[in-house]
Amino acid sequence: MFTFNSLVQKAHSLIDASTIPSSRNPDGSPSKAALFRLQFRLPDSQTPQHEITAELSLSVPHSSRASAQGPRENQRPQERGITYVGKLHLSENFLCFSTQPTSFLHSASTQASSAFTGQTQGAGPAGNGFTLALCAIRRVERLQTPNSLFALAITTWNGFTALSGKQGNSSDAQRFTLQLAGSRQSSERFCDGLKKGLRDGVKEVENLKAVISECYSEYLLSGNNKAERESAMLVNGVNQPPDAGLGMVFRYPGDARKLREQSKMRLWREYLRDNGRNATLIRQPTFHKLIRVGLPNRLRGEIWELTSGSLYIRLQKPRLFTDTLSKFTGRESLAIDEIEKDLNRSLPEYPGFQSEAGIGRLRRVLTAYSWINEEVGYCQAMNIVVAALLIYMSESQAFFLLSVLCDRLLPGYYSTTMYGTLLDQRVFESLVEKTMPILWEHLVKSDVQLSVVSLPWFLSLYINSMPLIFAFRVLDVFFLEGPKVLFQVGLAILRINGEDLLDITDDGSFISILKTYFSRLEESAHPKSKNEKLRAVTKFQELMVVAFKEFAGITQSTISEQRVKHKDAVLDNIENFAKRTSIRNLGPESKRLSIDDLGFLYDRFYGILYEREQRMQVMREDIDRRAKASNDKATELVTGIPGNSSIEIGRVGLGPSPTLMNYDGFREFLAGITRWAITDAPTSHQDPMPSRASSVYSGHSGRERSSSLSPWGAGNSEPADHDFMQRLYGKWNKDDNDGLSLQDVATGLAHVKGTTDIMTSISYFFNLYDDDHDGKVDREGILRISEALLFLTRRGLGGSPAPSSISMASTLDEGMDPKGSSADERFLSSVSAFIRRCFEYADPDHPQNQNDNTSLPDTDLNTSMDNFTVGDSDSEEDLLDLGPKPTSFQQASPSNPPPATLPRRTSSLSHTQSKFISKRSANVALDPSNPLHITLPTFRMVILADDLLQQFFESAFPASFHLSDHPAHSPLQTPLTTFSSPTPALPAAPRGGIVPPAKGLRGVLDNIVSDGMRVAGEVRKRVDEAQREIEKSALQRSETDLDDEEEKAAYGGEADRKSVREGDRELLEGEEAIVGVGRGGSLQVEEDLLGGIDAEAGSEEKGRIEFER
Amino acid sequence: MADSAAAPPKPSSSVKLVLLGEAAVGKSSLVLRFVNNDFQENKEPTIGAAFLTQKSHLPHRTIKFEIWDTAGQERFASLAPMYYRNAQSALVVYDLTKPTSLVKAKHWVAELQRQANPGIVIALVGNKLDLTDENAAASGGASTSEGSDAEGAETPETSGDARKISTKEGRAYAEEEGLLFFETSAKTGVNVQEVFTAIANAIPETQMKGAKGPGAAGAGAGQTALGSERVNLNQRAEGAKEGCAC
Ligand SMILES: Nc1nc2c(ncn2[C@@H]2O[C@H](COP(=O)(O)OP(=O)(O)OP(=O)(O)O)[C@@H](O)[C@H]2O)c(=O)[nH]1
Ligand SMILES: [Mg+2]
Repeated sequence: MFTFNSLVQKAHSLIDASTIPSSRNPDGSPSKAALFRLQFRLPDSQTPQHEITAELSLSVPHSSRASAQGPRENQRPQERGITYVGKLHLSENFLCFSTQPTSFLHSASTQASSAFTGQTQGAGPAGNGFTLALCAIRRVERLQTPNSLFALAITTWNGFTALSGKQGNSSDAQRFTLQLAGSRQSSERFCDGLKKGLRDGVKEVENLKAVISECYSEYLLSGNNKAERESAMLVNGVNQPPDAGLGMVFRYPGDARKLREQSKMRLWREYLRDNGRNATLIRQPTFHKLIRVGLPNRLRGEIWELTSGSLYIRLQKPRLFTDTLSKFTGRESLAIDEIEKDLNRSLPEYPGFQSEAGIGRLRRVLTAYSWINEEVGYCQAMNIVVAALLIYMSESQAFFLLSVLCDRLLPGYYSTTMYGTLLDQRVFESLVEKTMPILWEHLVKSDVQLSVVSLPWFLSLYINSMPLIFAFRVLDVFFLEGPKVLFQVGLAILRINGEDLLDITDDGSFISILKTYFSRLEESAHPKSKNEKLRAVTKFQELMVVAFKEFAGITQSTISEQRVKHKDAVLDNIENFAKRTSIRNLGPESKRLSIDDLGFLYDRFYGILYEREQRMQVMREDIDRRAKASNDKATELVTGIPGNSSIEIGRVGLGPSPTLMNYDGFREFLAGITRWAITDAPTSHQDPMPSRASSVYSGHSGRERSSSLSPWGAGNSEPADHDFMQRLYGKWNKDDNDGLSLQDVATGLAHVKGTTDIMTSISYFFNLYDDDHDGKVDREGILRISEALLFLTRRGLGGSPAPSSISMASTLDEGMDPKGSSADERFLSSVSAFIRRCFEYADPDHPQNQNDNTSLPDTDLNTSMDNFTVGDSDSEEDLLDLGPKPTSFQQASPSNPPPATLPRRTSSLSHTQSKFISKRSANVALDPSNPLHITLPTFRMVILADDLLQQFFESAFPASFHLSDHPAHSPLQTPLTTFSSPTPALPAAPRGGIVPPAKGLRGVLDNIVSDGMRVAGEVRKRVDEAQREIEKSALQRSETDLDDEEEKAAYGGEADRKSVREGDRELLEGEEAIVGVGRGGSLQVEEDLLGGIDAEAGSEEKGRIEFER
Repeated sequence: MADSAAAPPKPSSSVKLVLLGEAAVGKSSLVLRFVNNDFQENKEPTIGAAFLTQKSHLPHRTIKFEIWDTAGQERFASLAPMYYRNAQSALVVYDLTKPTSLVKAKHWVAELQRQANPGIVIALVGNKLDLTDENAAASGGASTSEGSDAEGAETPETSGDARKISTKEGRAYAEEEGLLFFETSAKTGVNVQEVFTAIANAIPETQMKGAKGPGAAGAGAGQTALGSERVNLNQRAEGAKEGCAC
């Protein structure tokens, strides 16, 4: 029922497949740049420039000569130190090294580029190595090597900045060598790149200084002993340590002695001194071990920043946080309201959040983030996570870390649909089923829903499930190794409690077992053991061991695979839920439509918004998008979740999607559910000459049209644009929003379709044209109504009890009716009579006639019906001439010169008009100098006087909106052109609104309708002009200008439609032939858009590669 | 109050109850008041859902409430079906001082009526009564309050300081939809116990899941007294109105 699947498929075929040749890499592979960034946790601006195999040599640090590090893989103890073999990568601003053999060359296979997502052996996705900001490098020297290999000695700023330029003693400086193991040529190229990067890096040194001034490590290392540190602080004018979170003021959670803070701090000081810190840190196995045992409080924030990569984003935009805050000061938003509600409810047990100091920080971080990511805004649980971060880091550090959390580590978790959260719950369940089948079976049997328990674990990173000190230990590893940690820990919890859990019978006991477990994490895991060492192992330690040893097999790629597998089901679920909720909340009016209709409406409505979004995407960012698509592919490969700007943008389940339909969307919507809203012009995909497109169609969509492939989507009918549709749109748009909401549309449709009561239907129509709601429709309105009637019925009175569509054949049959009048003709004459009667029974506008006015509406409808004689077209002058068609417009040569107020027009006027004008003087009602109006009762009476019109209002009009009663295919996929030739026809002859004789009967029919509309238009023009003259001379109300404007607009619309119709005719002949190559047509337009990059289908690959660099 | 009166051999059965309503209307606070007779000024928002149990002793039986307290923020709404699945009763809570919260409550009622167990007993609860004037008059001293019987003392139509939704409005809607209706304060405890008792009374014995008490079968009397479920619901709604302190 729900159509998003098919929509998505459609979108895929629209975007992925051959329609747009260059949307993806030839092999559909993800962007190497994105994978590169993911591995080294780099900002989005970075791309891999060069890579080369290299050997990293670290001198044996003076402090750790006795280090217990044993030899490892890739690591050979040498006389002078430790060496790692790996890959060296260079991006614009970073030099990265990893022992993971990943490659980001174009030629590298996807597997080689994403190797880091696989088994990580606990070393984290980044492996051993470094991510070194180029601006942190002070000097690079080329070393003389015996074998003339390239060897570079790198010296960083460490040990210099702190002493403000004073040369530190050499033992303080961080220095290491890199031996390049490539050909001479490639080594040289790498070095050239590095030189350039270093030069550019100079610009960033200031940023670096600002950023590291917030890093506690700088303070920690600013001197080797306390006295030295203090003197250094004096030199720098720094007299207090950088902000390492609220914990510095309100104490860090936990008992510092039990946490062994001092020894941890000593170990870290040593590690950082030997291996660099923040922007220059080198990751060795000890680094990972130090993290596993738990970070010391004061360094925790900084290391989180480093391992998650948020440090590098901060390095690039050090002022983003404060700038965002000042930019949006005083602004309000829903997110801010929601944030305010929760500020007092975030880790309330921590003293820092019982004071304005802590709450202020929390407010600023959450608010600033809600501004830079309005799609997420604020989600409950973010307050808890950020509160936790703020215990250990400064506001701006927390701000950047939050953005990494939302963008990379917890994709989709906090989105408005929370699809990421739901998806990971599903993934978690499937992992439980896989790894603990017996437990899983038991849970299913006892009807216990696992996610009820596990959802908060993931959503708030265990922070409010476990005691804080343990949750932070989990976070330590999480930031280093990524989201898989959450799964490993969750599985371990269940594994450890497995036996107890097998006894449970309901949710209650399930939850209470886990609650008890969490409250006892500090206790011994083996209290009864004889072995003292074993007795000393806490339950939490046991948990970590089980998580990372027993579930070592759960890697990032496991998670990604599972996410891909469950993604669609989860999104469908969300969307079904959204649909149900949305339909339920459409308001009382909507109840007049059936549930099926509402369901259908929902699908169509969002379907169109979604498709339009897709198309806009394609048009707007074509080139951009290709890059994005492959980036997203990379994100998807690693995370299993499509990236933010993914091709599925607008999919309801993925988060905020458009909810308002603008006028163009509305036209498209109507074209999908009615036949009259489809334009008579050929749809663009049938247009063999894309260059013509823009000239054929001007007006609302001219801009889109000229710049793109069909703005209406390949294979869709192009919607018409008519005054009636604009009025309908205006009427439905009750709150004057930027567009119609689903509720507006449902309510609107409920009014026109939800009733079969002819009276309601008539007054609805009347009100559409009663612009100022005074119960009167003036001459202009009457003409517009008649135009609309012709417009709505130009494809026949569809929706009458007869089958849904008046087929070509039936039209023809009717046309050959012995009486000699087709349905169209008859309707035309009805409309003609309508105009006449309206004028006949209209009330004059003069104030002295007010009394008369009131008498008419009071007239009993039946009596007035009795008195009403249906005019005989023979005896009365038809306003719309049905006589033989003139072959061309004749110059107006009125026998009775029009009154002086009527401007002489040299433009073409048919003799019909001449006749009309000459008659006008005889009919006061038609005299534009006599303003007049009709009231609803008059209108009603006039309608009821005519069988066809009555039928139109009774059934045809309401039934012309097809909802679930008529499957969408009929109006959509078979653009109905009643008057089009069913067989490929002759090339069109240029003509001016007149059908060439060759078109025969169909041409005549066509002419009748188009002429009818034209005539109505002309009549209106004449009348208007007269009216305007009068008004002008009378120097009347200031409204004149406004009217003028509106009228001009109306004329514009009129002209448009005519030109469309003309173009239509010329092209219709070729329609059938062109349908077959429709795709080719749109392809070509697309290619034009690309500016010829992919001018030929065959060169598509080349184009893409060029783009990818 | 009822706790002390518990006599061992009464039949007992469990009832699944779910709390729904806009964020920060006081769902968790109501539960905390009911379960622990406690109130915390700064209660963390509920993430996903919380689960608690509490026994309620009625004259003829004991009912164990299995309470699912859900998160109120709009975006958590799609999780709700997971929690109201199989629920026999629901508390739909709004904040008497926040008009939008009643709109949200109505949405929840509609959703429950359509998606949840057909026989679900729904109570509409307007919370934070202590912030309105009539409370100051009537139950200012009733902070210990489990059984505080403020009946009839409060006259609704004098709009209190912070009150934005009149008793009349809430009750009219509840009657229209056949819901139990209460105005409560989790802070002072006014009417909290009553809500749960009324729900317990409104649930027919047949609807009880897995009666675990010794006399699970001996529930006949209660059942006849309660009559058929729909009718009962309406009766209860009437009863609630009278018993309710507003
Ligand atoms: N004055 C007053 N405040 C209340 C009352 N009930 C709750 N609150 C306060 O309202 C805030 C929200 O209460 P919670 O119980 O957490 O609200 P909730 O509905 O569970 O919120 P979510 O879990 O976010 O959906 C807290 O600060 C409470 O102290 C009440 O009866 N009177
Ligand atoms: Mg809560």
